Amino acid sequence: MTGGVADAIAEGLLHGRVWLYSTYACNLACTYCLTESAPGVPRRALEPARMVNVARQAEALGFTELGVTGGEPFLSPDLPSTLSELAEVLPTVVLTNGTLFNRSRLASLRPLAGLPLRVQVSLDSAEPDCNDAARGPQNFSKVVEAIPRLLDIGLRVRVATTVEGEPDPEAMERLCQLHRSLGVADDDHVVRPVVRRGRARVRGEGVDVARDDLPPELTITADGAFWSPFGPTVTGGVLDTDLMLTRTTEPLTVPAEALLRLLKARPPGSDARTGIR
Amino acid sequence: MHHLFDGGDPGVIVQALATVPELAEVAVPFIGVALGPGSVPPDLKEIAILRTSAVLDCRYCVRAHTVVASDMGLGAALVRALRDTPPGARPAGVDDDTAALVAWIDAVAGGRGPVSDDLHRAVSARLADHQIVELVVTVGATMLLNRLCTSLDLPSSPATLARLAADGFPP
Repeated sequence: MTGGVADAIAEGLLHGRVWLYSTYACNLACTYCLTESAPGVPRRALEPARMVNVARQAEALGFTELGVTGGEPFLSPDLPSTLSELAEVLPTVVLTNGTLFNRSRLASLRPLAGLPLRVQVSLDSAEPDCNDAARGPQNFSKVVEAIPRLLDIGLRVRVATTVEGEPDPEAMERLCQLHRSLGVADDDHVVRPVVRRGRARVRGEGVDVARDDLPPELTITADGAFWSPFGPTVTGGVLDTDLMLTRTTEPLTVPAEALLRLLKARPPGSDARTGIR
Repeated sequence: MHHLFDGGDPGVIVQALATVPELAEVAVPFIGVALGPGSVPPDLKEIAILRTSAVLDCRYCVRAHTVVASDMGLGAALVRALRDTPPGARPAGVDDDTAALVAWIDAVAGGRGPVSDDLHRAVSARLADHQIVELVVTVGATMLLNRLCTSLDLPSSPATLARLAADGFPP
């Protein structure tokens, strides 16, 4: 089994990262949110101990990275200590909307400096109005304040941009100038399309994707294991199960073996087409 | 689980199982083999499925397999007997071989402990050991589906209900 995962990663069939959906709750309600996250939605959280257990199993199986997403992971006051434990197991990236980094939360993150941890902050536009139209009022100002503060305490920061339709080169250049000015290099800026799942699907936005459009990345949630972090979406309050691998998440061998079986059954040439990550 | 839906609506049983993909992945093929063609003659297998469903009082399965059994040519009288005869009683109007088979099915599906020597002997006269094994698995798989459908109160399809009405069976 260990060889199976490691071999699949080495062959480029499987991404080495295991994603953990820490919670579906969020302080924002972005227009394109895959999980219809918002204040007050059911948390469907992975408890910290469970995340660490999964991480240890992932490392033992040969996975090489961890990703923590949501919802907004930093809604959990336990997240900094959980991230510390996770990053001791495998290099970790945590996704955040960047709006919760007040003084006390930043202080709780200071011990994480120096660990193999990246904080990926969402920022969609250099124009506040454009950014905030999708992500909520004052989102832009909070994010551009948060990024330098995160960098100041020694954390590595990435910026993730989600775009509807074809990116406007001029708008993207303005955004790149902005993230550079905030201290984030081009290598730490990722751009991906809105995916027509969850709230984006209800609104008729984004690109349609099938399973093989999405790079396989084992994704663990409170509801089960999925093919990709774009899998455990929620539409109209109902979990989408079309990309579910197994309800069983532990031992991690169960969903990992299910994922490997699907990978081995794929015909040659069925590479991801949209480059979503 | 996509392949289960490739041919259109797979029905409520597969839909229910597909909510637990790792279960559906093995259960659906298993059920297909256990209830599908095998070494046991198809008519005997269908008798086992319909009779087991009647013993366990599974409304969904009795309805569905009334249609299947009729389409296989079991005959309305036999289908009614399998549906309506109380467990342990001899169905009216059937030959001794069928009566023995029904008694054996009743014991497997509704009994406790081993099947009696008399019932086993009667069935052994018609079926080889491996066929008896297969038929026990057919009854067991049917019982699993009976409990699944009944516990979850899965609804019969409109097409099944229309067909039962057309053939004069109660809903």
